[in-house]
Amino acid sequence: MAEEKTNNGARFDPMSAWREMRDTYLDNWAKVMVEAVNTDAYAQATGTLLDNYLTASAPFREALEKVMLSTLAQLSLPSRADFVSVAERITNLEMRLDDMDAKLDRIERYAAQSAGAKGERRGKQGGQK
Amino acid sequence: MTTFAEATAEPFAGYQRQFTIMTKVLTTRAAIAQTPKQLIWTLNKAKLYRYVPVLPADQRHRIPLLLVFALMNRPYILDLRPGHSFVEFMVRQGYDVYLLDWGSPGPEDKNLKFDDYVLDYLPRAIRKMKTVSGAEEFSMLGWCIGAILTTAYAALRPNDGLRNLLLLTAPLDFSQPEKITFAHWVDERYFDVDKVLAAFGNMPGEMIDYGAKALKPVENYIGNYLKLFDNLEDPAAVESWHAMNTWVTDNIPMAGATFRQLIVDLYRNDRLMKGTWVLRGETVDANQIRANLFTLIAGADHITPPCQAETINERVGSEDKELFRIPGGHIGIMAGSAAARTTWPHIDAWLSARSGKIGQQ
Repeated sequence: MAEEKTNNGARFDPMSAWREMRDTYLDNWAKVMVEAVNTDAYAQATGTLLDNYLTASAPFREALEKVMLSTLAQLSLPSRADFVSVAERITNLEMRLDDMDAKLDRIERYAAQSAGAKGERRGKQGGQK
Repeated sequence: MTTFAEATAEPFAGYQRQFTIMTKVLTTRAAIAQTPKQLIWTLNKAKLYRYVPVLPADQRHRIPLLLVFALMNRPYILDLRPGHSFVEFMVRQGYDVYLLDWGSPGPEDKNLKFDDYVLDYLPRAIRKMKTVSGAEEFSMLGWCIGAILTTAYAALRPNDGLRNLLLLTAPLDFSQPEKITFAHWVDERYFDVDKVLAAFGNMPGEMIDYGAKALKPVENYIGNYLKLFDNLEDPAAVESWHAMNTWVTDNIPMAGATFRQLIVDLYRNDRLMKGTWVLRGETVDANQIRANLFTLIAGADHITPPCQAETINERVGSEDKELFRIPGGHIGIMAGSAAARTTWPHIDAWLSARSGKIGQQ
């Protein structure tokens, strides 16, 4: 490659000066940009841009949604709303299962505790005999 | 005499090798989240993992540790890659480590709120962790939005066995919006959160990613790639970059109702610190927090500026609390190359003293 050894043995990299210059430039640029994005003007500009995009795309989104809904209905296929409804029901079922799991855990713990207590009592009674 | 073809063969082979590395790194996913774990609980998209202990039971800490990361990024930043993983480090220090992965919300989750995460998902996951670990007390580490969730939980359920609370770069205080870039952007004069959510349902991951990157546009959109280009001949640097890039580009949306609360309740009205944040009829009062508290501040954090994270220690009711400042950025303090030498050992030292003696089961 285009590298030569310098007197102290380290490789001479002709690109290092360019890299240093580049990094210095980027550092300065970065500072300017950080200050720029932290201004109200930037917040206003991005907010306006987003708002315009949402306003302009809303009619297309709504039209597409209507077309999709009627197409899916014609094809006897479930819509996103149908899937959402099923998913919500599944989550509710999972919650009930989790409640049951919690109850089972408690029952197991009590059973283990009472078995331990019984064992201790038997041990004491056996010792008394 | 050397021919032109011979003279140019070596440089071209070098360029070709660099091009191959760059293509691979930019188009593939690194092998991340490799620490062995078991799935022990699920609910909707949320999953609770238990990391397989590597030390015998008599050499482990008694109190388990639950890791709670943000809602809009993948939690495997805590287990980035073998040899450079916070999870792996803590497992080796003898902790029984659990990780709560919130998953990626779908359209059916657009109505999920902080209320649901804090009062449904988190308590259920904690119950399961207690059952599996057999411990009544536990430690919880919340990072970024995860710190909001864990703080709210700690305030609302102070008697649920939470012994140690660790908050990393926690965006809790929104009282100084002039110092918070995000607060400028989501100001109600410029950002119509309801219009965005009406269009998308959930807050798209791409928009969140843009927001995070636009805070430091030159570093994120240019400097980051130049860093890779400059280090293509260094396999360790490339591997590290690849893993981090895999995480950074793995964006997930945020549930719409949660995002709305984040913007309206917190960024705009600072309800958590004012003590007026109400989740399911219960007011989140930081003064109710009794757990030992460790707050980690990243000195150069541009996502959660220190002013957002450093005031919580004055508000809590905990007697044992520590504020630890470390130079570095929002992610770098835990996943950067220096984290294994600086942040992780400090967290371990603090937690170790409060996690029950090793061998005390």
